[in-house]
Order: sequence, then structure tokens, then C-alpha cells
Amino acid sequence: MPLVAGIDCGSGFTKALVVAQDSPGAELRILGRGRARSGINVDQAANDALDQALAGNARSDLNYIAGTGFGRYNLSFRDIAITEITTAARGAYYLFPRPGAVLDIGSQTTRAIAVKENGRVNTFKSNDKCAAGSGMFIARAAKYLEVPLEQVGELSLHAAHSHPISSVCAVLAESEIINHVSSGVSVEDILRGIHDSLADRAGALLKRVGLHGELTFIGGVAHQQGMVRALEQRLNVKVNVAEDCEFVCALGAALLGLRRLASRN
Amino acid sequence: MRIAAGVDVGSTQTKAVLVGANGDGVKVLSRSLMDTGANVRKAAERAFDECCQAAGISQSDVGFVVGTGYGRYNISFGHTQMTEISCHARGAHFLCPGTRTVIDMGGQDAKAIGVGPSGEVLDFVMNDKCAAGTGRFLANAAEVMGLGLDDIGPLSLRATRPVKIATVCTVFVESDILSYLSQGKKPEDIMEGVHLAIAKRTLSLARRVNIEPLVTMTGGVARNIGMVRALETVLGQKIIVTADAQFMGAVGAALFSLEKLGESFESTVWRDHAVSSRD
Repeated sequence: MPLVAGIDCGSGFTKALVVAQDSPGAELRILGRGRARSGINVDQAANDALDQALAGNARSDLNYIAGTGFGRYNLSFRDIAITEITTAARGAYYLFPRPGAVLDIGSQTTRAIAVKENGRVNTFKSNDKCAAGSGMFIARAAKYLEVPLEQVGELSLHAAHSHPISSVCAVLAESEIINHVSSGVSVEDILRGIHDSLADRAGALLKRVGLHGELTFIGGVAHQQGMVRALEQRLNVKVNVAEDCEFVCALGAALLGLRRLASRN
Repeated sequence: MRIAAGVDVGSTQTKAVLVGANGDGVKVLSRSLMDTGANVRKAAERAFDECCQAAGISQSDVGFVVGTGYGRYNISFGHTQMTEISCHARGAHFLCPGTRTVIDMGGQDAKAIGVGPSGEVLDFVMNDKCAAGTGRFLANAAEVMGLGLDDIGPLSLRATRPVKIATVCTVFVESDILSYLSQGKKPEDIMEGVHLAIAKRTLSLARRVNIEPLVTMTGGVARNIGMVRALETVLGQKIIVTADAQFMGAVGAALFSLEKLGESFESTVWRDHAVSSRD
């Protein structure tokens, strides 16, 4: 029974997932998940995340480790490094096996990926130049509003209106947000405005790769229900979100790792 | 003596300047500077009041007041408003005669202005969408480094091997800085890397107006010697910075005020005006 780990070394968090497949073609079993803040030492974060994901299994039982994400080349104990574009498409297609587009919003990068019928990448576009449109934008806004990041998604759902935000820059948005607060706009309405503006920016990126079929939304920001609703309303598409939205790249890496292992044996 | 005022209500700081004209010429009489804060109107009033006190005159002695800057329409006592683009060009033309390009780096925006032979605006470009090239960016970088904003300029002049900074995003540069610090890079080399990255970005904006010499830098960021040097390095030519660089918008506004009072003058007459350009 091969045991494979996928480790996604993201810029904000490192996610690890351990899977087992009892026999070739058999259904995949996810044994555990782990998550650790990436910090500056990739190996250390990956070790932390992997130890959680092993869920009692011994490290020495692992047959293969596939690394992905921003820090994958700094992961010293990997068997293979795969780009997060490929792993995102593979993981998303495994969960929602239909062609369409994948939107990945992480803490520092936003990506739109068009996925073919077989789960392979057709084309992709990403924005990693600045925090506009990334999870960092929301994290900053939450900080200015003094709201815990975990509550952002829920609060935005309860907005009565969407209060638009014009700043693209996460830093310059601070004064705009403070102005909104001092002029009496509710925190909920401001957060919804932020989700709407991020959805529009994601929509522009998706348009460039072609948004056909369903949209699978992955990455840490997909946890925010307000963002999911904003995407559905602004882009007028059905949005799939997996419970494990943050682990999709790790899952894709593990799947590709399994295949690599099978072809090696 | 005719006295006129310019009040520049910036996004971060508010500047006021009084100029006076008599038979001997036009002189800057006094200046004041304060944080704009949330109450824009009050900041403008206080800046104007302090400026009058510094000159030892009462507000009623001031014949005309021109407001400029992003908060100019909030000035309760101003007679008229002008854009900060015109004011920076006018101020630079007066204090640094021969100026053909102004690079203005303020608290929340960065601009490049093409200036004509008589101080008129030929063209301008502006970045107010992104904090790169603004004081806000540098304040943030200084904070991450654990340094004061006034310390980063002199510090970066000591750099020997500037690091490479790939991003000009204020948010992302934080992780770049932290990762260089953890690698044991010297603070001066990191700061110089940051200044060079911002200089490149600012000049790629500025190249959209024709960068003609003389190039004068204005705005609060002009106080940062490290930033000035980095711009000179990337541009390959000297940049003029006067002690009044941060007040340039207010100086320009005050000169427009003086013209409204009927005091017309040609700034080349004041070629000998104290211009403390750097060598």
C-alpha cells in the first residue's frame, strides 16, 4: 500500500496531505492533513505540517513526497517539485471532475487556470506582482477594521449593501477604509465591498484564460463564504468549493506523486 | 510689502508658506508643517495660523490664500484652489530656475511633471493607485526594519552590496525584507536595495513625460537622501533638491497668490535665490 505526501509550500502557509491507495485504481484514502505558517524556513514549516498530516503513521512509511508551491525548491526532502499550476488543476479536477476554470486565491498570489477535459492545464494567468486581489488585501483590510480574519467571510454575508472600495493598493486602502468607518458605514458593508472588488479583479483574470463551464475556487480565501457569494453574483457562474479548499494543491501533488510512484515501480 | 500664502493639504502632511514681495523681490517669509490627520479643515487652519505666527504677522495681513493638494477644497479660508501639479511646477521654477522636470514623491502618490521655460506644466503622469514610490511605502519599509523614517536615507548611503528587491508592492516587500534580515544581510544593503527598486519604478513612470534636465525633486520623500541618490543612480544625472523641497507645492501656491495680488514677476530674476542643490 503506497503512502504518498503532497506538500504545498505556500507564501503564507504550508499545507501537507498524506494519501494512501490500497491497490492501483482503488479509491484514494486521505489519511491526514497538516498546516503550518510558512515563515522563513521552508523545511521547518513542511516538517510541522507533515507531522500533523502523518496522523500517527511513521515518516519512514512514506513512499514518496511531492512538493509544490512557491517554496517547493527549498523543500530539501522532496522526491519531486511540481508547479502549483499543475497541482491546482489536478487536485481541483479530482474533486470536481468536469472541465472549467480554477481560481486560486492565496495569501500572495491570485491565479486563474483553464482546465481541459482530462484535468490538464490549458492555460493560466497569475498576479503575483502586488497584494491587490490577493488574500493579503483582505488580511490588511481585516486588520484596519480590527476584525479577526476568520470572521471576514461570515460578516460580509450579512451585509445590507455593498460599499465599493476604489483603492487597488492594499496599503492605500487603509485611509479609504478608515474614512468609510468614520462616516458610519458598517464593517459588514465594507467587507462586502472588498469581496465584490476582489471578485471583479478575479473575473478579469479569469476572462483572460476563458471562463467556460464551472468555476472551482481554491486557496485559503475560498474559506470565506462572502467571497464565494461575490464570485457567484458578479461573475454569474456556479462556484464549486471543496471543504478542503486550502489543500487542493497538496492533494494534486499527492495524486501526481502516486502516479509517478506507480510508473517507477 | 504684499504678503500672500499657499497652503498645501497633502494626504499625509499639510504645509503652509508665506511669501512677501516688496521692491527688493519675492521672499519666502515662513513655513509650517503638520500631519493632516482625519480633520483636513483643521489641519489647514492650524498650518496657516502657525505660519502667520512664525512670520510675526496676523492672518488679516495676508492678501490672498491659494489652497492646493488633495485636500484643497476643504480649506475654509482659501480664496481659490489650484492643482498641486501647477503649484509644484511653479514652485520649482521659482526656487530652482531652469527646472524642466519635477519628480514629486509625496505621502500617498508619486508624480512626474514636465515643466516649460516659464514654469508652466507641459505634461504630467501620476501614480496614485499603488503605494510604490510614496512616503507610505518607505515608512512601511522603515517600520519593518525597525528604523525611523529619517534614518533610512543616511543608512542606505553606507551600503556596499545592495540586495536585489524584486517587488515594489508595499505589502510583499515586507517578507522580502524579513527574509534578507534572517539571511544576515546588512540593514544598509537591504535599504539601498529597496531604494533602488523604488527608483526604477518611479523613473519608469517619469519617462512617460520627457525627462529633461534640470530635474528637481519635490515632496516629503525628497528629505530622504538615500532615495535621491538612488534616483540619481538609476537616472544617470543630477537631481536638484532644495531645503524647501517638501514645501514646493505650498511655495507654488503662494506665488500664484502673489500674482492674484497683482505682483507679477519673472522668476529668472531670482536666479541668485538660495538654491541649495547637492553636489
